Amino acid sequence: MRALVTGATGFLGRRVVAALLAQGHTVRALVRPVTSVEEIGWPASVEIFRGDLRSVRELAPAFDRVDVLIHLAAAVTGGEDAMFASTVSGTERLLAAMAGTACRRIVLASSFAVYDWSAIRGTLDEESPVETGSDLYRRDGYTIAKVWQERVTRRFAVEHGWDLTVLRPGFIWGRDHGYLAACSQQIGSLHIVIGPFSHLPLTHVDNCADLFVRAASDPRAAGQTLNVVDGPGERIWNYLGKHLKCSGAGGLRVPFPYTIAFAIVRLAFASVFKRNEKLPHVLVPCRFESRLKPLQYTNERAQELLGWRPPYDYGECLRRTYG
Amino acid sequence: MRVALIGAGQIARQHLSCLKTLPRVQIAAVCDLSPAVSESIAERYGAPAWFTDHVAMLRDVKPDIVHVTTPPTSHFRLAMDALQSGSHVLVEKPATATLAELERLVRYAEERHLVLTEDYNYVFNHATREIARWVETGALGPVVHVEVVMALNLFGPGGFADPNARHPALTLAGGALADFLPHLASLAHRFIGAHRRAHAIWTKRRPSILPYDEMHAVVEGAHGTATLGFSSSAQPDAFWLRVFGERAQASTNLFETRLTVERLRDGPKPLQPFLNGLEEGRAVRRAAIATLMRKFKPGPGTYDGMWSLISGTYEALARKTPLPVPVEHVLAVNRMVEALKPTEAAS
Repeated sequence: MRALVTGATGFLGRRVVAALLAQGHTVRALVRPVTSVEEIGWPASVEIFRGDLRSVRELAPAFDRVDVLIHLAAAVTGGEDAMFASTVSGTERLLAAMAGTACRRIVLASSFAVYDWSAIRGTLDEESPVETGSDLYRRDGYTIAKVWQERVTRRFAVEHGWDLTVLRPGFIWGRDHGYLAACSQQIGSLHIVIGPFSHLPLTHVDNCADLFVRAASDPRAAGQTLNVVDGPGERIWNYLGKHLKCSGAGGLRVPFPYTIAFAIVRLAFASVFKRNEKLPHVLVPCRFESRLKPLQYTNERAQELLGWRPPYDYGECLRRTYG
Repeated sequence: MRVALIGAGQIARQHLSCLKTLPRVQIAAVCDLSPAVSESIAERYGAPAWFTDHVAMLRDVKPDIVHVTTPPTSHFRLAMDALQSGSHVLVEKPATATLAELERLVRYAEERHLVLTEDYNYVFNHATREIARWVETGALGPVVHVEVVMALNLFGPGGFADPNARHPALTLAGGALADFLPHLASLAHRFIGAHRRAHAIWTKRRPSILPYDEMHAVVEGAHGTATLGFSSSAQPDAFWLRVFGERAQASTNLFETRLTVERLRDGPKPLQPFLNGLEEGRAVRRAAIATLMRKFKPGPGTYDGMWSLISGTYEALARKTPLPVPVEHVLAVNRMVEALKPTEAAS
């Protein structure tokens, strides 16, 4: 199988490329014009196609003899409009180019961010509602861009009869990415842990990459949407404790009940802040929920559909992250 | 009044946020080359129609006024198409890539009795209007000199100097800095009028894809002189406007809410610096709090000038009164911009 991987030099992309190579697949990596790939240490067999999805005009040759597009590219920093232009308009450009080629298979990296966290109770799974309508625009720029990236990709897939698999990873962690925004509100060395007993929808980057390769190579994944989590997830308090200890960052954890924190945020948002949506994320109720709401998580669908089990348990993931 | 917008990027959202607050104004349609951008902006701001082809939009929607908020090199064609379809035009700065293009637009708009105006948002910021009021009331005295300096880091990722995706403004004469010249020139024009002569020095301090990253200029205007500057390296980011009058000097950072004044006072001369210092200290403290609080309040934030200009433009159109930025000012500002542009290729 020859896979075209966008976002190949990113945190997840590097592990997806490594997993594809380990399973004997051929990789073509879409890499920005002046991004250096030497220090990644890819073997010479990795084909490099230079282009930036924000501006590249001639993308069709990137799909030459490609069996599957693994589309991971998305902006994770920058302003809301820059993220939209990069993630969504970039996807439009990429898929418009694909439309003229023989490639008919896509695996898209979406995100847990696309879910309507305010509406979900109990377990978040693939049937949970996705953010839509005007409520979407109260969320952060990353979420808006990821929802639209998924919409655009689904429309292209329907229009051209492509086989699309949408994978929605939870919080991806790994080496140099151990600290997650949901862990705490940090003030110096003080970590205020909101909802310390809530579970985190964790997927280690190596487990996540494994499912991307499985989905790309298994025809049963076509037409499916799968959440990517390693299991029910660690409790925030324990996960942060391990991170502070293993990374050597240190710091003091202070627990704070979720219900009280959320009530304060809602009250302040409606009164003092006059529903201003330009506030920091943690002060806007719907964004607060999307990071911190205590829910349960499952990877049952990936298990049932593809027989997927995360190849690495939590202990091994810790070793790979901090060892 | 039915309005349509072409180019739905970051600055467009500021226009639309303001338009949503105006009475008797309906956002009739938006247009962007990207279908997703166009559709999402229409959904977000309640526009009933969205397009990817501006010609089709102008034909089908027939808006009363069109906001052109695309990258600058496309302004001329889009503004001309909008004028030819019978719409007034509010164009983002810089209005056109060249003065000749602007003059063609102005001629055409005048022939058709249509409005053509350009967004000089900082001229309508609260602080700028306050200084202008002090000039008009005589509190500042006749203006002698104006200093306008923008310090803005252009080297960040995804910005004007990103080598992976070249910013459209890099094709302007002077490169990315040319995108900011109308801000500098419009403020200078506000206080010293049309320029008589200008001399600019364009330099490059750091290696990047920008042809220039510094510009500093001296301008002689009808009512005084000005020094204008743009620095990509001076930090922190700030936009200083200082107006030197015969009786007082006003200073503001247009990226914040700081506005201070030093003035001649009655009483013993040795006390003047002391009293001015106390007053300045109070103003700086108030501004520090106001700038912070502004981030926690809904509304235009740093774009208060744009909101003021847009609402003033619509009010003038409705009442058939003079525009906040009449076309003569657009021409005068752009003549100053033209005089500031580099005359030789960057080394």
